[in-house]
Amino acid sequence: MDQFVQLDNFSKIAPYAQLFKQGMLVTILLSLFTVVIGFCIALVLALMRMSNIRPFRSLGLDENGHLRERGFLALVSRFNPLSFLATAYVEILRSTPVLVQIFIVYYGVFSLIKLPSFQMFGFIKFDRFFPGVVALGMNSGAYLCEIIRAGIQSIDGGQTEAARSLGLSQTQNLRYIILPQALKNILPAIANEFVVIIKESAITYTIGVQDIMSAVNAVKGATFVIVEPLLVATAVYFCLCFPTSKIIAYFERRMSHGDKR
Amino acid sequence: MATRDSLIQVTDLKKHYHMGAIKALDGVTVDINRGDVMVVIGPSGSGKSTFLRSLNLLEEPTGGAIVFDGVDITRKKYKDQSGKMVKLDIDALRQKMGMVFQHFNLFPHKTILENMTLAPVKVKGMGRADAEKKALALLDRVGLQDRASAYPIQLSGGQKQRVAIVRALAMEPEVMLFDEPTSALDPEMVGEVLDVMKELAKEGMTMVVVTHEMGFAREVGNRVLFMADGMLLEQGSPKEIFENPKSPRLQDFLAKVL
Repeated sequence: MDQFVQLDNFSKIAPYAQLFKQGMLVTILLSLFTVVIGFCIALVLALMRMSNIRPFRSLGLDENGHLRERGFLALVSRFNPLSFLATAYVEILRSTPVLVQIFIVYYGVFSLIKLPSFQMFGFIKFDRFFPGVVALGMNSGAYLCEIIRAGIQSIDGGQTEAARSLGLSQTQNLRYIILPQALKNILPAIANEFVVIIKESAITYTIGVQDIMSAVNAVKGATFVIVEPLLVATAVYFCLCFPTSKIIAYFERRMSHGDKR
Repeated sequence: MATRDSLIQVTDLKKHYHMGAIKALDGVTVDINRGDVMVVIGPSGSGKSTFLRSLNLLEEPTGGAIVFDGVDITRKKYKDQSGKMVKLDIDALRQKMGMVFQHFNLFPHKTILENMTLAPVKVKGMGRADAEKKALALLDRVGLQDRASAYPIQLSGGQKQRVAIVRALAMEPEVMLFDEPTSALDPEMVGEVLDVMKELAKEGMTMVVVTHEMGFAREVGNRVLFMADGMLLEQGSPKEIFENPKSPRLQDFLAKVL
């Protein structure tokens, strides 16, 4: 009677299979857009954090054109506003709950900016979906930024010295020497972050994004069955996350030439 | 002042850290002439490497001047012939100075051939086919043509350093800087790298070599600098330095290493 799972409950929720299919599609789209937005934000942030743009640099030069060693002007000349902004962004986003961020984006930002209320694929409410993507993307951007930065900084300084001593510019060094090596090193961390994004996207059902969790909720409301829809959701999430990490592990192996003797 | 075949004039070069509390370089003045094989020796922490790395601005000096090809490269901006202020093009400068590092610093994700053609193709705009032909010829010189498609990790230390030397040569530099090129090598591999360097010296390449190989300094160098505490204590021909050292610091140093 009081079994944890009752088989006939599955037949009760079977008519709602369409909801789960749609939920899965939304979760996939949500994750993909989040990854793309997050990665773009992260790359920009990481480059900002490691940039060497110092608008007051000339204040740090003495009358001979040499770098000043000491004093207030030397400090001011080293101030990098881009790096400061990026660091502030990362620290704030990482130190606040993603739920709060989603609510601020949805109820705060997008109550001021009116989004067109059309439906993608005939059922995805754009004015819910879009704020969800923006909030998740901003959040994962902060985490991915730290991953990218750590990856770049894990490359031995001798690589940059060798590249620069051959005459490569800072950009060329980044593009041909540092990023290819860094990307390989951080693939496991990126895979992990991708999986986290898929799972974390579940939280967007709180602002009405019709993902898998919202399908669970809908089925629960209609049939008063709870555990079985949750098991379906578990299976769907697992089927999304597990292959994702395996696919990235495959690329990791493919990129590892140069590591083996 | 600079003689006609003087290539680099270093004047009162200083590198201070922590508001001057640490003086890695404390006023080094020296002229490097074309064709010089200048060997820099001294105890560790004496500023030899800092001096060498300052020459192509891997370290930014905090004082003094390095005039290379008539331009003081320690200044971020300088006046050109027409009197206009121009920014120092550090990348163009570094192309003319090849550098070989203690830890080789080959690019591990690229094959030997790719290591050697990257800068000629991307920086000099050389055609890929030309660059590869040239790289293979250079590899042949150091007996490594058959390893062109290998990755650096597949090479021994001595082979890596020989590749690093020809990688720098592929840019046709005017001067080659060697930062303890044999210090990270197993003893039996030191010879093969020194041989390549001797060969290079014979061809008339201007070289600045920081090393602990006193035999090389004696045999190949035409000028030897002795540095201690960030200062240039003594300089002269190998004969003068090794057989008739004047300062007590140098005598002490030689007694320890010879």
